[in-house]
Amino acid sequence: MTIRARLHEFVVRLRVAGVRISVAESLDAVAAVAAAGLERAHLREALSASLIKDEADRATFDREFERFFRARAIGTHPARQGQSWQGMAGAHGQGQAGGGPPRPRQPEPSAGSRLRAQPRTEKRQAEKSGGPEQASKTDKRAEHEGQATSAMPGHLARQRAALNRPLASYTELDYEAAEQTLALLRRRFRLRLGRRLKHARRGRVDIRRTIRAAVSRGGTLIDLKWRARRPRRFDLLILGDVSGSVRYASALMLALIAGARDFFRRVDSFVFIDRLAEAGFEQGHLVMTPPLDLYARSDFGRVLNELLATHRRRLTPATVIVILGDGRNNRRPPRADLLLQARRSCHALLWLTPEPRERWGTGDSAIAAYARVADALIECRDLRALELGLERIAHPTERGRYPIARAMS
Amino acid sequence: MTTTREFIAAALERARYVTNERVETALLLALNLEKPLLIEGPAGAGKTEVAKVLAEMLGLELVRLQCYEGLDEARALYEWNYQKQLLRLQADEAGGLRWEELSEHIFSPQYLLQRPLLKAISSPQRVVLLIDEIDKADEEFEAFLLELLSDFQVSIPELGTIRASLRPVVVLTSNRARELSEALRRRCLYLFIDFPGIEQERRILELKLPELEPALAAAAARFVNGLRKLELIKPPSIAESLDWARALLALEIKELDGAALRTTLGLLLKHEADRILVESKSAALLGRATK
Repeated sequence: MTIRARLHEFVVRLRVAGVRISVAESLDAVAAVAAAGLERAHLREALSASLIKDEADRATFDREFERFFRARAIGTHPARQGQSWQGMAGAHGQGQAGGGPPRPRQPEPSAGSRLRAQPRTEKRQAEKSGGPEQASKTDKRAEHEGQATSAMPGHLARQRAALNRPLASYTELDYEAAEQTLALLRRRFRLRLGRRLKHARRGRVDIRRTIRAAVSRGGTLIDLKWRARRPRRFDLLILGDVSGSVRYASALMLALIAGARDFFRRVDSFVFIDRLAEAGFEQGHLVMTPPLDLYARSDFGRVLNELLATHRRRLTPATVIVILGDGRNNRRPPRADLLLQARRSCHALLWLTPEPRERWGTGDSAIAAYARVADALIECRDLRALELGLERIAHPTERGRYPIARAMS
Repeated sequence: MTTTREFIAAALERARYVTNERVETALLLALNLEKPLLIEGPAGAGKTEVAKVLAEMLGLELVRLQCYEGLDEARALYEWNYQKQLLRLQADEAGGLRWEELSEHIFSPQYLLQRPLLKAISSPQRVVLLIDEIDKADEEFEAFLLELLSDFQVSIPELGTIRASLRPVVVLTSNRARELSEALRRRCLYLFIDFPGIEQERRILELKLPELEPALAAAAARFVNGLRKLELIKPPSIAESLDWARALLALEIKELDGAALRTTLGLLLKHEADRILVESKSAALLGRATK
């Protein structure tokens, strides 16, 4: 087997293990090995520099490298390679069953097909054994955290896991894990929202300011000045449902927004279950005034009533209302008419829900009634989707710009 | 020209840069495959330093582009010098030159402001191009950079296409303020630089500060390493630990103890909360460092 083919095999192994590697990168790997040499340590670094583009994949790479290039250099005697093949298969508990005599070397095409067959076998076996990806994922994470020398790589793995976990099934533990990565997420959200807001501000040319700027250039129109879209700075009013399982999603939303406060003229944060309470952060913890009864049954109709009665002044044409909740109202009157009143007196209303779309409108969900009033109903299955959904604040009334489910009307 | 591992090892030695095989291999590949090198890692682990050392060891000029939010082509690539062009136009008004002649004048290279990227491409010598903190730049800029990194040529409508005669050595650094695009990662070689271990840090201290006593250097390295394992807001960088060691020298401190620490801790920790945390644990940290 040529070195090239062997490297290709290794690339396939990494891909099976979940590392994304393009064709160009696998070609780079061949060139890199040619430049760095075949000594084991050099081979390892050359392959990692050309194939691994994210430190979070390092643990996978190390493991696969150890398995694939047992303590020998590449391209040794073919007979011994046969043996190692078998040893490797044994280590994985798959492939050539029975552990017979070393396979004779085969011509290229069938070697290729054997290679391709292998991932599938592995997958099937994993599926049979019950927890297919979960098992391998936790295994990967455990190994990863054991090896991490600084906070960074383990941190990355945690962040990735936290981003993709469904918000609807969060537990206290998941929330704690997400909180640890929150500082990073907040910074990222800040950057991205800031960028979106900036673009939203660029609109038509402002003739008056352009001419004024041209005066200093002898009347030549060089610098175009752009007219800002109004309102230039929104007032933000956020309402988070803190009942049941949505409370983690609400807390995360409030935390993300808190990091981007200065983009808005004013941010009012509220949380609710059956009543409305102002929300604030003290040393990273959510504080409610007045405190809410966390075991009460949701009643959004009443909450809306309170909002309109006591905070009417907060609803101006520059206000964007963002509500996060599942719209499950315990069969109490949804009072969508009150929500419509609120919508009429503000600039836009966005509704985010961590509930998956299949469950919208089932059981005691009143979300359909609210969705007809909202400018958009946004599904936020996980933290990543929540982040994307919140970026929508920059263009609250625009439709179809992001992967967003329009109201079900 | 192919670069050998021996050459790189010797050159790094000369540049007094303490490193490991991973960094050596990455540099070797970046030079031989002529691909950009993307370096990630925590702030202060020496990412930017790699590019500087690379320039120093190859004897090339370092062209640096510091990225920030809102960086655009005009700041990164080139810009016409409007003021100078206008002056030229006004100066010519009396002379009565025809428009064709004039425009040929004002759109010539002497009215062009070269920004780092154009400078790196149009330089007659090979240069090292450092694109620092690419994660701070906007996504649009990243896309624009991709195009540039694949061809190393720029089209200026008035002047034509400028192509790099010698491909610059490109180093990008990122602190992961945001995820970089897959496309950019694909085109680069990747190197993750973490904080050095105790042994490596000790060698750095000894190499950069030969006057420092070996025992103190070892204790300092262990202490800083212990600090980085705490949950600090900002763990001390290598530069800071060097500064700290210099301070120890200047104050003629021969042994690490509580008093020495209190007077110099400000060089390592830049947050009040960090300082309080460390002072509460200083006895244990010192015990481990000076064992």
